[in-house]
Amino acid sequence: MDLKFLVVDDSVTMRRIVINSLKNLGYTSYVEATDGKDALAKLAADSSINFVITDWNMPNMTGLELSQAIRGDANLSKLPILMVTTRGVKEDIVQALAIKVNNYVVKPFTPQVLKEKLDAILANL
Amino acid sequence: MSNSISNMNQVFDKLKDLKTIFKLGEKVIPIIQNLIQFMGEIVPLLETINKSISDSTQKIPQATNQINDVTSATELATTEILDLVDETSNQLMEVDKVIGEIKERDKQANEKFDELVNKLNGDETLVKLINEYKELKDNGSNIDSISETMQKINDNSYKITLSLQVQDITSQQLSAVNHLIESVNDKLTTMVQEIDHSDIKQDFEHISASIPQGVSFDANAKYDPGHDRQDKVDEIVSENQEKATQEDIDKLFS
Repeated sequence: MDLKFLVVDDSVTMRRIVINSLKNLGYTSYVEATDGKDALAKLAADSSINFVITDWNMPNMTGLELSQAIRGDANLSKLPILMVTTRGVKEDIVQALAIKVNNYVVKPFTPQVLKEKLDAILANL
Repeated sequence: MSNSISNMNQVFDKLKDLKTIFKLGEKVIPIIQNLIQFMGEIVPLLETINKSISDSTQKIPQATNQINDVTSATELATTEILDLVDETSNQLMEVDKVIGEIKERDKQANEKFDELVNKLNGDETLVKLINEYKELKDNGSNIDSISETMQKINDNSYKITLSLQVQDITSQQLSAVNHLIESVNDKLTTMVQEIDHSDIKQDFEHISASIPQGVSFDANAKYDPGHDRQDKVDEIVSENQEKATQEDIDKLFS
């Protein structure tokens, strides 16, 4: 399966780190978005995107709102979503899972953890 | 006659009341005087407090701007570091490619040597000489060592990249501080306006803290590179992944 990632984070640093990690794992196809709204626009413009990696805390539209919007859209609802965030308290994790985020990674992450979560999600698709 | 006595009694009663009032007045007047004196002293004090709060509040936008500047500066510096790390990685890849080519040429050269040795028809002196030359020319172990070192440099560069996640985490912490300052600013502004509605209000109309709107941050963000946090997350994920229902979602967003 050819994967095209949408990497959503308001921090340019984090986007680059996630993309570098994806490249190290052999994934070279990606699109970047700076917040949830931008991500929805990118998803609307590019139907080949088939994996979303999103931060939670972002201006305009948070990662949680983005995930909710994706799950509520008939065309996008099946997209796998990996949340990569600093938020590590139980309530947040449960909240993310409640809207069917596929998996959850806390920052700072290691490439091993990212790989594990990606593999776990892809294995269940 | 009885009416006159009754009227007189009423007059005496009224006089007694008056006397009581005068006595009370004697006691109250010093208190009122003290109160007036106290008010006279407290008003300048309130004005001083008012001025002090006003001055402090005017400095708050400067503080928030400085915090925003710190965030921008660290992001810029981080980007520069990432650029350099990327450049180093690309250069290492180029060197690795060249080393691969050298290894391939060495392999071909060794094949030629073997071919040459076979064509020497057992001339021991020439075979010995050729083998000595081959040994001197063989850089295989050195090249492997260089490749290993380069791989380590590449791994360390990547680790530097990962450590730069600290920039995102600290920027969220700074956003949380800015949010706190903004809240204090709002409270102080309201307080000063209540103390002196007319003058200070005008002062505050000129003050505007440039705090970005719609900012979302995690006040509890922390840089903890250990595995414990992710382990806890994984535990919660496995406990809850199957449990969330539409009812839970509605409850969370209601």
